Amino acid sequence: MKSVSGFVVSVILGGLLVFPVRTVFAVDDAAQLPQRSGAATDNRERPDTPRSADPQTSPLPQTTPLRVGRNLQVLYDFGTDAGSRVKDRSGVGPPLDLLIENAQQVRRSQGALEIRGKTLIRSDKPARKIINAVRRSGEISVEAWVRTARLNQEGPARIVTLSQDARQRNFTLGQEGDQLQARLRSTKTSVNGIPAVDSPRKSLVPRRIHVVYTRNRSGQAALHIDGRRRAARRVSGDLSNWNANYRLALANELNRERPWQGTLYLVAVYNRALTPSEIAQNFQAGPGAGTGELVQVPVNPGQRIFEQRVAPLLARSCLECHDAVANKGGLNLSRKATALRGGKNGPVIVPGKSSVSRLWRLVQSGAMPQRGDPLSPMEKSDIRRWIDSGAPWSLDAIDPAVYAHGRRAADVWVQRLTIPEYIETVRRTVGVDITEPARRLLPPDLRADGFSNTAYNLNVDLKHVDAYAQLAERIVAQMNVVDFAGKYHKGRKLTDDNMRALIAKMGKWLLRGPLEEHELTTYRGISTTVASAGGDFEEAVRYIIQAMLQSPRFIYRIENQRGDGTEWPIGDHELACRLSYILWGGPPDRELIKLADAGELQDRTRVAEQAARMLKNDRAVQRSTQFIHQWLDLDRLHDLQPNPRRFPNWDQRLAADMQDETRTFFKEVIWKQQQPISGLLNAQITFASGRLAAHYGLQPKADGLTRYDLSQVPGRGGLLTQGSVLTVGGDEASMVTRGLFVLHNLLRGTVNDPPPCVDTAPVPTKAGLTQRGIAEARIANVSCGACHVKFEPLAFGLEKFDGLGAYHKADEHGNALREDGNILFPGRDKPVDYKTSAELMNLLASSQRVRESLTWKVTQFALGRPLGPTDARIVAKIHQAAERDGGTYASLMQAIVMSDLVLMTRTEKTQ
Amino acid sequence: MNQPRINRRTALKGLGGVTIGLPLLEEMLYSAPAAAPASVPVRAFNVFFGLGIPAPLQTEGFQGVLEPLKPLRDKLLIMRNVDQVRCDQKGINAHFDGASGAFTATPPDGEARSGGASIDQMIRRTHYPQGMPAGMVPTLVGGTYFRRSRVSRYVHSYNPDGTVAATIQERPRDLFERVFGAVGVPDDNNERRRRLKRSVLDSVVDQYKFFTGANSPLGARSRARVGDHLERIREFEQRAYTIKGRHPQAPKLPPRSDVAHEGKADPGGEGIDITLDELVTEWRLMADLYALAIQCDRTRFGAITFLAAGERIRLTGEYKYAGQTRYQFDDAAQLKASGSQGCSHEWWHRFNEKKKNEQLRAHAHMKMREVAWFLKRLDGPESLEANGKSILENSLITISTESGDGRHSDVKRELSGVFHAISGAGGRFKTGQIVDIGAEGLDVYNTLLEAMGVTQRLGPPRREMRDVAAIRA
Repeated sequence: MKSVSGFVVSVILGGLLVFPVRTVFAVDDAAQLPQRSGAATDNRERPDTPRSADPQTSPLPQTTPLRVGRNLQVLYDFGTDAGSRVKDRSGVGPPLDLLIENAQQVRRSQGALEIRGKTLIRSDKPARKIINAVRRSGEISVEAWVRTARLNQEGPARIVTLSQDARQRNFTLGQEGDQLQARLRSTKTSVNGIPAVDSPRKSLVPRRIHVVYTRNRSGQAALHIDGRRRAARRVSGDLSNWNANYRLALANELNRERPWQGTLYLVAVYNRALTPSEIAQNFQAGPGAGTGELVQVPVNPGQRIFEQRVAPLLARSCLECHDAVANKGGLNLSRKATALRGGKNGPVIVPGKSSVSRLWRLVQSGAMPQRGDPLSPMEKSDIRRWIDSGAPWSLDAIDPAVYAHGRRAADVWVQRLTIPEYIETVRRTVGVDITEPARRLLPPDLRADGFSNTAYNLNVDLKHVDAYAQLAERIVAQMNVVDFAGKYHKGRKLTDDNMRALIAKMGKWLLRGPLEEHELTTYRGISTTVASAGGDFEEAVRYIIQAMLQSPRFIYRIENQRGDGTEWPIGDHELACRLSYILWGGPPDRELIKLADAGELQDRTRVAEQAARMLKNDRAVQRSTQFIHQWLDLDRLHDLQPNPRRFPNWDQRLAADMQDETRTFFKEVIWKQQQPISGLLNAQITFASGRLAAHYGLQPKADGLTRYDLSQVPGRGGLLTQGSVLTVGGDEASMVTRGLFVLHNLLRGTVNDPPPCVDTAPVPTKAGLTQRGIAEARIANVSCGACHVKFEPLAFGLEKFDGLGAYHKADEHGNALREDGNILFPGRDKPVDYKTSAELMNLLASSQRVRESLTWKVTQFALGRPLGPTDARIVAKIHQAAERDGGTYASLMQAIVMSDLVLMTRTEKTQ
Repeated sequence: MNQPRINRRTALKGLGGVTIGLPLLEEMLYSAPAAAPASVPVRAFNVFFGLGIPAPLQTEGFQGVLEPLKPLRDKLLIMRNVDQVRCDQKGINAHFDGASGAFTATPPDGEARSGGASIDQMIRRTHYPQGMPAGMVPTLVGGTYFRRSRVSRYVHSYNPDGTVAATIQERPRDLFERVFGAVGVPDDNNERRRRLKRSVLDSVVDQYKFFTGANSPLGARSRARVGDHLERIREFEQRAYTIKGRHPQAPKLPPRSDVAHEGKADPGGEGIDITLDELVTEWRLMADLYALAIQCDRTRFGAITFLAAGERIRLTGEYKYAGQTRYQFDDAAQLKASGSQGCSHEWWHRFNEKKKNEQLRAHAHMKMREVAWFLKRLDGPESLEANGKSILENSLITISTESGDGRHSDVKRELSGVFHAISGAGGRFKTGQIVDIGAEGLDVYNTLLEAMGVTQRLGPPRREMRDVAAIRA
């Protein structure tokens, strides 16, 4: 049998190697196994060669993945064929090598260790790196490729164990006859790791098999054999009681009383529960495969420099003058073709030769950039290294908007519930409407980066603490706590067993996931205090619920953020919460919790099904209105104070009417009509009160909110023609402000703020001078035009709407108003003309750039953080997926929750 | 304006509002010597005022707009020619840049974050690494301001990760409650009920401790956030359960503000109409309460703001100083404009060195008068400390602004010459002088930090600090 390990394909995401796979070419029908470099390749000499896939049922894949490397703690691949030491080849931390006792009882060959008699293979020191890592994460995977020597070994006979003796362990994987057994110590099991997880009878066969035991933070434990889950059970509690002094051993218990015989081909321990797909990946890879992250994949360093250093630098320091629009010196550095073509004076970049590249020479001398700060020595060095490495260019175009928030956009912050989320969470968990007092007592959530759910800005004040305490009392006062408790546990005694059972079940619902032992103890402490004060069950439950309502697990969306600095698959209950807060703005329902309990949210198909189900629920509609409310800052309308001399007929109630108009319009277009999101920009309907209709110049149909067909109404139609948006321009209907609104919110364009010397106050109109005339003068101005041409024409189509959204054909001076103009889409070098406001709206609605921008906005809102360069590729995929499914809000939300931005979590490297 | 001066004695007599429960009162006001610590604690506060003082006007010393600081001149070091150009960030409004750079020497990082810590927080973390004494407000941020579009315009105390160090209190009543007020839970004489509530609070504390501890699943930023929350819970705990009783002479809640707040204070950048009397009444109550908090040792770190960066108000009213009418404010009428065009902000854009700049001078003078009002609160008899010096003399009070005088077409000039002043910080720094610093704000701040015993530095990690010896005593 032969196999050829081919080339390595890597995908670079934000400069990181994220999914390496090795391509394996089958050259004859006996080829089955990928081989480790240096390992024997002729398996006819090694009858125990594992069958990573049954050739009768599992044709050899054309690409065989490498082993999963993330969160690996130890790896024994028995790669040397001699000596009494088994080396830890994980490459992670200090190696935890094992020593073989009675070496004559084993036979070593490259890639295998056959145990022929009683021996013990153990670490010469406590396995602290495993123990500390697993205690921290609360998760573990124990993996082994093994072949048992016989099926009558019992005890269980220890295959892998981290323990002290036959009765005390942290974990053990062993053989019990024709079954496998895994024991794990937690705060809810015995110190012997009982109850154990057992594979079915006859599941162990005398051939080489792949075994993986996993246990996640939620307590889901499972045994997989040859890539299939064969047993599962719940192992509750946490792993904080793991003994730090136990040693790792193979083939026997530490006291030498549970020997095992057979052959070991690989043993690995991770401090994370591998997902089913990762287990399958390791099974497919076979015992001889390399570990993905440990393989030195050749990555073009110039490409990394370009994406991480040069592209942001060009965006920040060069494109102001050298993009498609400004194009100074005929040089456009935003695209590969134009950048390499150069400017009027010829090429500026000579790949591989910085010394003859004008770009480098101008930067080195400080002649460029002409505006702004000179580049630092490091930045200059980046440019030189990039050119010398061949000037690789791996992006379609450099989009300054991607870099607008800098690298810190990706910072991971715990998310405090916003006020609407808190209200919804209370409503859904205990059935109490706390809206009025919550809005009154809690300090408002402040906007940052365009939304008021931005995690880094959701800080806390004493008022929050006070409010949460008061609200907890009020909530409980509105509950029948005994009935509520009865949903989770029938017992009503203040005994330890009863209360702990109640706290575990009720707490899991209130706190959106299983409780750990220390939490049970904490809440149980409240009930004992009540008991000692002569209180009863009802009083105890009341105080326990009050405490839970103030817990960080209630107030915040707690997730595991610690790991090795890479991205990890998110845990089951964490994913349930992400789904529910993103799609519903509230906690998971019982179905989601149930699926998380069963570990079924590891299955992406199941996640997709759940997302689809959730998007059909009215809660998703309510959540989506929070998006439109925050995006357009509809609260701003309540603060409108138009100049009464200029707008004597302004009625403050119109502000609320405008809010209602936009929200109702949004729901109609997005949910009832299921239009693409971009349909918000040109839908020919609106909803207005009689008062607002009159304000708009429509014939009022009724006093209350009523639907109006706008297909025959000139100018009006779409979000931008609604008062909620038109009022952003202030009393003067500033074209600057309106244009910037469109640029930033729909085109994701960037433009520099004016230098401080510029008088930014709107210029008043007069007879013969309209707002458009003022704008055109600015655009014609040499100093101002380069920037203003990017956004003021976007507002030309809105000139007929005054500062409060009323429609006029002439202004107060009698000047005729126009609605024609042109629009310059970011990245393009030529504007597109439009004749009417309606044409402008159609152009925007059909623009790919606008659709992408809407995807970015919705994604930012969903994640509660601004997006940055490391998100760009995933957001692009989200956008493509959503567009494929019609570009609707529902399809976009589905694509977001199915993306790695939601299914994975960025971890912080733990020292 | 009818605002009486507030100090520890007048606080007892009430501030003219509704009496509220003040469980802190006994400890705060009757402990001898009235909450003044036996030894002088380390304190640092940032005082910000909006729109700045054009550099040419700074050269006029106390003869010009700095005149109101003259009575305090022996206790202040006025620093001219301090350069904050490194805070300029392309594509970002210069008011915002300059304001973010005040006390941090870093440009903003997003709409609601600075680029790094402010000096008061650096000092706090050095001298109180385990947190502030129980019940003390860890960081007090307050201010009277109306421009709200970006947080750095008005908040001037930042954590090292750039997030705000504390929620700003924008109404005097809010600040009063933040410092002295009772929390909602405890007014309960039933000892049993108190005990059970205490049990609930204990469990809450346990939970927050877990999530800030070694076994927390949270990353560093999140742990810091939850740690902030825990610190506030401890404050809550102190107020709710540790301090007993309500004093029969409890002071009264300040009257409700008459000026606009929150969204209504900044209607879409269009500015608001406000009289000088309304403005000053609001500010002085805020300043008095803030000073009272310091006098009572309820806080040792924080920031106070008198008008935001790029502030937009249309001010009217007679401006008097030293018993004489100095100017008649009427921005909108004098600018012949309404909305944002009629705001005092415009005077800064119209500044011309060769002209009188009468309106700008009047505004800047008034701002110095109000900054001085606050500083004097910390320098009166009520502020004398165990070493015989005043709080102003013993503390590091840094006064700065956004510059933003509008003179130059060059951004670099815009953020150079930013007005700064400091107090002596217990003899660590020179006072009684006006000096031309000729250095970056970053070096000034790092010199301040070094003298205050802080080993960490602001700014890029590898940048070599340039000591500004001219400010050291």
